[in-house]
Amino acid sequence: MRNWIAGAVIALTAMAGTAMADGHGDYPERPIMLMVSYGAGGATDFQARIVTMTAGNEDALNMPVAILNKSGAGGRVGWNWLATQAEADGYTLGAYNVPHFIAQSIEGGVDYSTDSFEPIANWGADPAVFVVAADSKFNSMSDVIAYATDNPGGLTFSGAGLFVGHHIAALQLEKAAGVELAYIPNNAGGAGAMRAVIAGEVLGGVNNLSDAFRAREAGTVKILGVFDLERNAFIDDVPTMMEQGYEIDNASVNYRGVMVPAGTPQPIIDHLAAVVPTMFENGRVASRMEAGGSPMHIMNREEVLEMWAQRQVTLEALLADL
Amino acid sequence: MEFLFYMGDVFTPINFGLLLLGTIGGLILGATPGLSPTMTVALMIPFTFKLEPQQGLILLGAAYTSTVAGGAVSAILLKIPGAPANIATTLDGHTMAQKGEGAKALQLSFIASAIGGLFGVFLLIFLTPVLAQWALAFGPSELFWLAILGVTVIGTLDSSSVVKGLLSGCIGLWLATIGFDDIMGAQRFIFHSSVSGGINVIPALIGLFAIPQVITMFAKGPKGTDAEIIVVQHHPIGKAFNEIFSRKRALAIGTAIGSVIGLIPGVGGQIAGLVAYDQSKKMSSESAKFGTGHPEGVIAAESANNAMVGPSLVPLLTLSIPGSPTAAVLLGGLLIHGIFPGPTLFTQYPQVVWPFINSMLIGQILMCVFGLLIAGWAANVARVPPAVMAAVVLGLAVFGSYSVQHSMGDVYVMASLGLGMFFLERFGFSAAPLVLGLILGPIAEANFMQGAMIANATVGQMAYFFTGWLNWLLILIVVASIGYSIWMELRQRRYTTKEDAQA
Amino acid sequence: MSTDLPRNQHIIASGLISAVGITVAYTSFTQEPAGAFVFPRLISSVFAVLAIWTFVKAVLGCSKVGAGISGVEMRNMLPGLIVTLIYAFWAAKELGFYTATTIAFFILLTIYDPAPHNAPMTWIKRVLITAGFIAVMYGLFAVLLNVFTPREIFS
Repeated sequence: MRNWIAGAVIALTAMAGTAMADGHGDYPERPIMLMVSYGAGGATDFQARIVTMTAGNEDALNMPVAILNKSGAGGRVGWNWLATQAEADGYTLGAYNVPHFIAQSIEGGVDYSTDSFEPIANWGADPAVFVVAADSKFNSMSDVIAYATDNPGGLTFSGAGLFVGHHIAALQLEKAAGVELAYIPNNAGGAGAMRAVIAGEVLGGVNNLSDAFRAREAGTVKILGVFDLERNAFIDDVPTMMEQGYEIDNASVNYRGVMVPAGTPQPIIDHLAAVVPTMFENGRVASRMEAGGSPMHIMNREEVLEMWAQRQVTLEALLADL
Repeated sequence: MEFLFYMGDVFTPINFGLLLLGTIGGLILGATPGLSPTMTVALMIPFTFKLEPQQGLILLGAAYTSTVAGGAVSAILLKIPGAPANIATTLDGHTMAQKGEGAKALQLSFIASAIGGLFGVFLLIFLTPVLAQWALAFGPSELFWLAILGVTVIGTLDSSSVVKGLLSGCIGLWLATIGFDDIMGAQRFIFHSSVSGGINVIPALIGLFAIPQVITMFAKGPKGTDAEIIVVQHHPIGKAFNEIFSRKRALAIGTAIGSVIGLIPGVGGQIAGLVAYDQSKKMSSESAKFGTGHPEGVIAAESANNAMVGPSLVPLLTLSIPGSPTAAVLLGGLLIHGIFPGPTLFTQYPQVVWPFINSMLIGQILMCVFGLLIAGWAANVARVPPAVMAAVVLGLAVFGSYSVQHSMGDVYVMASLGLGMFFLERFGFSAAPLVLGLILGPIAEANFMQGAMIANATVGQMAYFFTGWLNWLLILIVVASIGYSIWMELRQRRYTTKEDAQA
Repeated sequence: MSTDLPRNQHIIASGLISAVGITVAYTSFTQEPAGAFVFPRLISSVFAVLAIWTFVKAVLGCSKVGAGISGVEMRNMLPGLIVTLIYAFWAAKELGFYTATTIAFFILLTIYDPAPHNAPMTWIKRVLITAGFIAVMYGLFAVLLNVFTPREIFS
């Protein structure tokens, strides 16, 4: 029984030991939490776990990063929490998905905008692609648009939700092709949207390149076009939308990275901005990401700030038509 | 029979050690309030970074099977269901533990889990292609009718008055709408910042089941709690096997419903236990005994929730679509090692997939053996003095609900729902239908909205929701279920309190 | 057997539920965007109707189930209830989980443990049980699961 008491005493002193230092010289001195606003097992969660796996190394943060999932309503739940309730002490980080959170803040009804967060670094860029079931009669985007022209509003296609990258891609397609389409947001995210395509509940779908690549390997879908400026190395046989004659840029590409709530001390932001990109560049991270079919795209804080500002303008223009 | 060829891989010293670690670790973590099977598997993923793919998946497979069964331990002993799958287990399991039959309840739950679980994994091994088609057959309209079928169960589930049962269900359905809605992203009923993210099911479960029990112990006062001394009955394992096999009907219903419903993406795992419980109650010759510590209740619920483990992986392994949150986490575990699930998985990576499936088979058996070993000892939890028990359950409830999302809001939600439920229970309402409403609400709503959107763009709502044999089959079952409830109501005028039923 | 049911308590309880039901229904029918409130309108209508039905039955004295709460039970549970409320809604966050749990646990043991308060053994036992519980919680949640609880008062 003595041990129990000893344990309790150690427990209490250990807690007391994590005293907050006024200077930030020793940062970080306890494990760091990374909030992911999608469920465990989703693409963002899976990639966040890989890119932070070397955080405990001495040349990185020297402290492990624990993933915390706060999922719901296309990410709104998690980002609202990060903007309003999380402590801005450098020990609470968040994963961002652009254009999702920016589009949601423009649409309204949430407590965050680009000003609520400070970016640290970007780790990945996952373009949206247009998929149809493997046995679909559509073989190119022009088949799809031809069907939509004959049946205005009758071309059903799925995506992960409203005001996420997939929805932006859908809006761009509608605008560029000048047709009316029926976008069906799925409540079960990208996986649910992909299931709807494979099961034939909808005629097509917008989905993540990484997930579509796997599904094509599994032989369940065809990929008809990439919503990006260039073809992607994972599927270099698939043409971009631009090549197929639709004026669509890379506004829907899903950029994933790390940010902190606004108000985090500047020395901590600077420290993270210096260390985190090098952490992403670790060879083990790259090989795991490659193995999982996830395209990497590392950007530093300045580049991300610029990208955010640029997206804000593009999305405001696009969503103004709604 | 290819799985037999790879059976040897499971028994190499390292792999078997990992299997044991996964099983025992899974049981302990599964029994911890707040840790659902999904969270447990997610917590284990980092350990697999350093392992070979085969070894990593053996660890994950064993952990998945045993966490599902581990949830039954806290459900029976503490009345804290670890996950939605274990709700039905608390109804009879905890009552048995209070009567001193905790050892028996645990033994029955482990044996039933293992039998259901083995059946489910064998389905995965032998019928995967057929099952994959079944998993795809459930689109928005079918899922909507399935959720409605769940709603019809509400009125008769563990409630002594049909009206109050339905009202409890409505409260649950309403609670589920709090927060952002999943399709439109609009805010609804956010009256306090704690619920701005919606009501998370796990903290709600902990509050609704554990807190009323804590307050009930308080209400008895120091003297009252001293008066009851629970004699924990010894229960030989052999007798537990006899008991199980004398209640074949509950076991068969539980296993069948668990495997069939477990396959349905996104829905199955959560409601399989409750639907199996309700069905075996309706078909049992002793249906009045359900809810009063009847072994059939435990057997049906636990065989169902473990039978779902194997089939729930079918969509993932064959079509690369994760059908449940836990399957999504396992997908991450596969991708990290560069393994892409899909039809070619079994030919490309047989040395990984078959040991993974085998680990779930052997894991079921190990879990059962280990569970039976500790059952007699664990049942002594019922002898813990009520004062200590109340404080322990309260502490676990606070820690457990916090740990789900590291959120104080969840603790407030847990405590508020728990307090409310205590008073509601005193006026004839029950927690089970309320929780069922909480789970089914989002499923019914999201699928209705999606179905309506597809229907409006194509064939129209009537045609969309009322065509196809599966829709009609589900509608017929819904009608039959309502008809049965009305018939039972008229026949018995179910105006008896639970105390009367016990007497 | 319906005669010994506390009719007044039933009226108050079902009245409160009806009030919630009506509020929810009112909110659903007045909030925008209407598209997001289709489902809440449906269920809140059923909710309100059933709640009012229960209320009417309670007023007529026809509530058949639920034993209510007796005065003795009320007195017994009040201290525990107060500790629970302070613990869950205030202390856990303000004092830190481990400190708050230690205090709440010990107080609850003291209130509800029937052992005589004047024997030193009783107190030693209570301290040991509390320390044991906290040690297990710390080992499980802080060490094994890495759950970051609110910081303790010491820091």
